[in-house]
Amino acid sequence: MRQVFGDTILKLAKTNKNIYVVNADLKSSLYLGKFASWYRHRFIECGVAEANAAAVAAGLAKTGKTVFLTSFSCFSPALNWAVIKQSICLNNANVKIIGSHSGLLSGTLGATHQMLEDIALTRCLPNLEVFSPLDALELEKIITTSIHSPRPAYIRLVRPATPVVYPASRPFTIGKSLVLKEGKDITVAGYGPILLEALEAQAHLAKKLDKKAPDLEIINCSSIKPLDVSTLKKSLSKTGRLIVLEDHQKNGGLGEAIAATLLSQNLTFRFIHLAVDNQFGHSAKDPKDLYNYYGLSLKYLLSAIKKILN
Amino acid sequence: MRLLAPKHPLETISTSLRLDLLNLVYQAGEAHLGGPLSSLDLFISLYFSKLFKFYSTKNKANFDHFTLSAGHLAPALYVVLAKAGYFPHSYLKNFATLTSPLQAHASTTAPGVEYSSGALGQGLSFAAGLALGDPGHYSLCLTTDGEHQEGQVWEAAMFAKKYQLGNLINIVDHNHYQIDGAVEDIMPLGRLAAKYLKFGWSVISINGHNFTQIIKALKKAKQKSHYPTCLIANTIFGKGISFIQHDYHYHDVKNLSEALYSRARQDLKIAK
Repeated sequence: MRQVFGDTILKLAKTNKNIYVVNADLKSSLYLGKFASWYRHRFIECGVAEANAAAVAAGLAKTGKTVFLTSFSCFSPALNWAVIKQSICLNNANVKIIGSHSGLLSGTLGATHQMLEDIALTRCLPNLEVFSPLDALELEKIITTSIHSPRPAYIRLVRPATPVVYPASRPFTIGKSLVLKEGKDITVAGYGPILLEALEAQAHLAKKLDKKAPDLEIINCSSIKPLDVSTLKKSLSKTGRLIVLEDHQKNGGLGEAIAATLLSQNLTFRFIHLAVDNQFGHSAKDPKDLYNYYGLSLKYLLSAIKKILN
Repeated sequence: MRLLAPKHPLETISTSLRLDLLNLVYQAGEAHLGGPLSSLDLFISLYFSKLFKFYSTKNKANFDHFTLSAGHLAPALYVVLAKAGYFPHSYLKNFATLTSPLQAHASTTAPGVEYSSGALGQGLSFAAGLALGDPGHYSLCLTTDGEHQEGQVWEAAMFAKKYQLGNLINIVDHNHYQIDGAVEDIMPLGRLAAKYLKFGWSVISINGHNFTQIIKALKKAKQKSHYPTCLIANTIFGKGISFIQHDYHYHDVKNLSEALYSRARQDLKIAK
């Protein structure tokens, strides 16, 4: 995902002279080396100073540039949140905040770097759009689409390279979710590579050759804000059961967003939220071990499926 | 017999706007006052010296930038913008009410305001971004001395030096007070001018109520160079109203009594 980010920005910058990068000492981690040397005057290095970087990005954006503010999500939007609120969101500056290393997938880096609160921090800010791509291909589509929006946005990246499953022919549209797999029994909604667990669960159930095995409808809610409520409503009116799966804290996550929105529209459904429950992350060699430890892996999803059926 | 220096033309504006400021605060019932009174002459110099062309409905394409970093100084900015014709003087009466575009902290809802602020320490970075993105114009910023306790100001100071933002001018309203007391007691800034010099800036120290000095310094700051300029304006907290001067309790004022209001008016009229 990170490499595709660097490549996409490089490609877009070739024809779009308005694209600037404001970076906080994470150039190599975000594969921005080429951008920095090819477009030296459009690569603004702020050093380890994310608060300054966010407001510099806002000022720069106000002179008509499309600015990518690049860092890890544990620093931006976490460390500089109040600057993002005032200088970027309140002033409605066209800054795309790129936060890498989100979620447990950061693996070895541990609790300080496994950003599990970024969706909570960003989806509450007025004017800010929030996107979390499923994989590198969707990320490319999100970046390419977002530069046409004048609004600020937060785009959530993960650290490792993950399998690409997003259908190449499908565009990314702000405020639209993509049904990755249609089904009739249970709606599974989420964002980011953790949805691969849902696809795996479906494959697992399909293998059973049991006519009673539940059929999942898997929805990729990559546009977390604005949220595509109608696709979820349509799905739930069919299934009546919702599992939200996310590599994030339960508190402030997508599960809360969906539940609050749909319940206030008098829709009733059974609901299970699989997310990190009020805990900090931990180092692990394999991020999959963390999904197991925090109850987000295939095993837990299958037992949630069982539970929601009864 | 004492010989008086000839009155600077902007002093007449200063006297009348100080009264506007007092009226605004009195009518609003609750507003910041000590800081607006200390910084007023700086705002007047920016908008009435003809040294800069700021954004207006008549000038939407070719303009210098002004970032008020210390958003609580908004009352001073608003009385100056009203005088400069950005909006009708009558707007001042409804300061900080729900239907008014003039919010208590500087807001772009008010015509002529380029940056919404209120949380201290962010404006200099924003102004640096403007300076970088629009090198053909000046980017001015107004900060306070207390605000320099925020680390972000120093991040911005480093940044402006690195990118040689010669078109960036940071005016510091150095009135020596903040909400809870004297800056010297709360968290001393030490030698502010020396700090900016060490950060690689040009520094000019002036009396922030002397228009001749302010304008001379602004002209100097405008000269082409690779160095950002810090203009340290030594000012008087609560300037012009005897019982407010140097008293940090008047950082913000709630329900000023009629007696004190009259006394304040008296002070300002004598100054006239």
